[in-house]
Amino acid sequence: MSNQFVQALNLAAGLILLTAVLTLWIRRVSTLVRLIALQGVALAVLVGTVAWHGHDQQLGLLAFGILALKAFVLPYLLRRVSTQPGEAETDPLVNVPASLLAAAALAAISYAVTRPLVALVPSAQVRATPVGLTIALIGLFVLLTRRRAVSQVIGFILIDNGIAVVAFLTTSGVPLVVELGSALDVLLAILVLQILTNRIQAVFGDTDLDGLRELRD
Amino acid sequence: MNSAAVVVLGQGVFTVLGTLAAFLPPNRRAMAAGLATGLLGATGFATGIVAFTRPTTMEVGSGLAQVSIRLDPLGGIFLLIIGLLALAASCYAVGYVSGPSASRTSWIALTLFIASMQLVAMAGSVAVFVVGWESMAVTSLLLVWTEHQHSRAVRSAGLWYAAMSQLGFLLILGMFALLVSTGGQSQFLNMHSAVSTGSPLLRSGVFLLALAGFGMKAGLVPVHVWLPRAHPEAPSHVSALMSGAMVSLGIYGLIRIVIEVLGRGPIWWGLLLLAFGGVSALYGILQAVVATDLKRLLAYSTTENMGLATVAIGAALLFIAAGRPIPAGVAIAAALLLVVNHAFFKGLLFLAAGAVLKATGLRDLDRLGGLVSRMPTTARLFAVGALAAAALPPANGFVSEWLLLQSLVQGERGSSTVTALALPIAVAVVALTAGLAVATFVKAFGIGFLARPRSEAADLAVESPMAMRFGMGLLALIVVILGLFPTVVLHRIALATTIPGARPITATWARIQLAGGASLAPPMLVALTVAFGALMAGYVRWHGRPRRTGALTWGNGGVRLSSRMEYTATSFAEPLQRVFDNILRPEQDVSVTPVAESRYLVERVGYEQRVDDVVETRFYQPLLAMGAAWGEWGRRLAPGSVHRYVGYVFGALLIAFAVISL
Amino acid sequence: MTVFGVVTALLQVVLVAAVGPILVGVLRQLRARVEGRVGAGILQPWRDLIKLLRREPISAAGTSWVLILAPVVLMGTSLAVAVLVPYVSTRSATANSSDLFAVVALLLVGTVVLTLAGLDTGTAFGGMGASREITIAALVEPAVLLAVFALSLPAGSTNLAVIVARRVSDQAQLASPVSLLVVVALTIVTLAEAGRLPVDNPATHLELTMIHEAMVLEYSGRDLALVEWASSIRLVILLGLTANLFLPWGVATQAGALALLVGVVAFLAKLLLFGAVLGIGEVFIAKFRLFRVPELLAGAVVLGFLAVMAAFFLVQGSG
Repeated sequence: MSNQFVQALNLAAGLILLTAVLTLWIRRVSTLVRLIALQGVALAVLVGTVAWHGHDQQLGLLAFGILALKAFVLPYLLRRVSTQPGEAETDPLVNVPASLLAAAALAAISYAVTRPLVALVPSAQVRATPVGLTIALIGLFVLLTRRRAVSQVIGFILIDNGIAVVAFLTTSGVPLVVELGSALDVLLAILVLQILTNRIQAVFGDTDLDGLRELRD
Repeated sequence: MNSAAVVVLGQGVFTVLGTLAAFLPPNRRAMAAGLATGLLGATGFATGIVAFTRPTTMEVGSGLAQVSIRLDPLGGIFLLIIGLLALAASCYAVGYVSGPSASRTSWIALTLFIASMQLVAMAGSVAVFVVGWESMAVTSLLLVWTEHQHSRAVRSAGLWYAAMSQLGFLLILGMFALLVSTGGQSQFLNMHSAVSTGSPLLRSGVFLLALAGFGMKAGLVPVHVWLPRAHPEAPSHVSALMSGAMVSLGIYGLIRIVIEVLGRGPIWWGLLLLAFGGVSALYGILQAVVATDLKRLLAYSTTENMGLATVAIGAALLFIAAGRPIPAGVAIAAALLLVVNHAFFKGLLFLAAGAVLKATGLRDLDRLGGLVSRMPTTARLFAVGALAAAALPPANGFVSEWLLLQSLVQGERGSSTVTALALPIAVAVVALTAGLAVATFVKAFGIGFLARPRSEAADLAVESPMAMRFGMGLLALIVVILGLFPTVVLHRIALATTIPGARPITATWARIQLAGGASLAPPMLVALTVAFGALMAGYVRWHGRPRRTGALTWGNGGVRLSSRMEYTATSFAEPLQRVFDNILRPEQDVSVTPVAESRYLVERVGYEQRVDDVVETRFYQPLLAMGAAWGEWGRRLAPGSVHRYVGYVFGALLIAFAVISL
Repeated sequence: MTVFGVVTALLQVVLVAAVGPILVGVLRQLRARVEGRVGAGILQPWRDLIKLLRREPISAAGTSWVLILAPVVLMGTSLAVAVLVPYVSTRSATANSSDLFAVVALLLVGTVVLTLAGLDTGTAFGGMGASREITIAALVEPAVLLAVFALSLPAGSTNLAVIVARRVSDQAQLASPVSLLVVVALTIVTLAEAGRLPVDNPATHLELTMIHEAMVLEYSGRDLALVEWASSIRLVILLGLTANLFLPWGVATQAGALALLVGVVAFLAKLLLFGAVLGIGEVFIAKFRLFRVPELLAGAVVLGFLAVMAAFFLVQGSG
């Protein structure tokens, strides 16, 4: 019983980690959006597992909320934002092999940093927290190194997912309001982005963020 | 008189004989001196055996000339290496030497070089070690400088080597001074207990000095720069001895001082060694994979192998610090096995490269090729060495690589956070190094020896004389034996890795069994491959019509191909060079010459590419430039006026008085 | 060494050797059907092989013993690996020698002799193929060894028979993040080592895009038959290994004729499943540019590293 719980938890964490690494690897925006959706599913499974294990109905409901929001609504909106069919992150500031190695380094750092925490409460849940931290760090890395507006949002979602993972695993859930609030933040950001990209595209015919720098001059 | 005294005396006698033989007239000199140095090697080998069967310490001579000799398993391993290499290199040298390398000085230097390396491995006290070390450096410098009249490259290589080995010597001297002052004990035998109570700061100081000094000899990055210069320019039998034996003594020093004398230390010691070893291994092999000079390639591969051995020592230190003797024992055994195997295959490769150099006058892979039909024996022997250097079965390099990986993988279980992060990185680095080593040696053999010759000199090559082939053949035999039956040497190594309470390796003739559960049976792997291969070969031979030869190769439509269309060493390594662009930083230059009538018609396109040693251009050249600027400034202080000099002395005196009176 | 062990070892090698060309046939047939063609049938590679084995080999001018020896060594190492890896049973006579590092090294020997043969021809294509192949082989190495490392941590050994037996008995390991990360890494390794899309296109006829095919351009007759046969065996070796590590069900851990039969059937079923996924997947992807392949392999390395981390931090002690 508890063994199955650990397995499901670890598997979901592994899937979240895998999708996060893959976001660094893949250039085509449509595939990236699919990955984010998959990560949303994994996150929902993770939360659902924790809820089921702790017999927490509120958390269970939240899991469904996460599933709806992160696996369906956000990807749908993102897909609408990326208007060009073959849009791709062609020329990131740090090339792909280097970003992948950076991801490995970030993973190592988060394992090292959370070591004392894990030693404090060596349960299966807490053991998986470094995964959350890794994903948040990878999200920051994406924000730093990718040029496309959509990629920026994806980085933001990664950070949000990472924080959510850490929060659910360590405290069995942040207050519902906080989680909803942060999710709504992302939603708002995407809406703003959608308006912005439409405008930018109307003006420049492109959504490369480097183009924005010219606005300052 | 016991056996130890007999063999040590034998070494002394042959050293004297070798020196005397150099004074014979040139026509008999090579034979006599080669015989003497060969026998010096053989007696050294015997001393190595004695060191295992009955470890002894003894004092030879008396008074000021008293020499303290200690024969123990650790030194014994290195005596075996030096002995066999010296034997093979001497046989080879009889056929190889000519011109300056056949001179009296050169033979004397060779004899003393071998003797002083043996002295280092037998040293029982600091004094003997230091004397052996310095005379080893000086004699090898003379040997590197042998052909100084022929090229500037030799002179510059000699200068670099002289400067760096002297710097290394000073560091080692400082290390010993600190060590002796800490423990008050100059005999290695009792040093461990004497310094174990020393202050942590002093112990760390000794560790750092030992790492810098011995690392310089072992050619670790960033103090490796002498190595790719000195090895190619020395005569090839000397390169073989230097790369196989002398460089290994750097690792010997590290094990002797850091593991045996210092022993348990803080965790950063191990991490530092892991880092230096990993960087050296990776950087060395990356330079080797893009090198086109065959001997330079081999020299960089030496840096790689010593880096791997350092990784193993670093891992051992980590395990010792964590109080886990069994993985530590495996790691030290891996380091020693790496050094032993490297000595023989690298010796073989340098000798074979020398044979090519003698036959063609070329070291440039881009202009070699086709030697497999012109120098068939040399080509086969080089192939054996290349297989070993690429760490593939059935040659010996594979076994040591396997042991290294096992020691890293096993150590992971039940370790702390730091090792849990460091060891996977080490495994990845070792694995990448192994992969690149395969590419390097496929290039060295495939481009250098196969296909058609790329220059006239390579086309006209002829097989080397008997003596040279014998020397190489001896080493190739050792390489294969150690690959198939590593137990022969692992028993000895297990004796040398004296960590109390650990019996990490048990081995039968056919199988190595580690305490952690892993096991390897090289004869089994080879037997299976050979059996199936023979089955297939037999089947296809029996089955159909005989092979037809001499057909044209496919050239997209029947044009007879010229050797200018072949892949060269540069083009072969180009993809890898592009992948590791950021580290290697190659310089490329394309020049287009148009014909006179129109600038749209191209007459010729020139393409030039150079891969410099980044450490040298980015680190040493600014340093040297700074040094030169300092010198310039200093020269202004010395205009040649005697009054000014007296004034300096006077000023210094006054300042000294002022300081004292304060 | 029991009778069962010897029988198993021999059975494995015959099975792998026989299935190799059939697997290639299945892949081609699947591709043909998905693309709307009839296809030549799954036995076509075997027919080709039998035909080629009867033909005389032709050696090009200026080539040496390397070219003649390479197919034999390639075949020898491939069959040796087929004996060592536990495909149908973990109790074969050679099970205690199936160290994964050794297996990887043996496969690498095969790669190396083939690249040397490519260089031996002295043509631009041979050199080109050899250069590309060795580049990929060098970069695959860290990925595969880290994957091995991750798998060896829970089993406590790098011996494949031990790893598979452990995974059969403790199925909780199968659905762990370590498995998830390692399966992706090993799949990439398999694609790269066996020369499948998107790393290399086995069906290409354009020399400039070739990797594996460029090296073997000069081979003909029996030599070519051996090279092709060995390549198909290597595909079975890698695919079968990945399959057995992730779906270890059915592998015989006890002696007995029935267990062996189940092992054979299960092995063939898994191979068919993985082959089908591979074959259909290949229809929908294009070959990578050569210099994007390192990205793919760097990704595999990172996944391997994360797998080791996960094995150490997530799984240890929690199961």
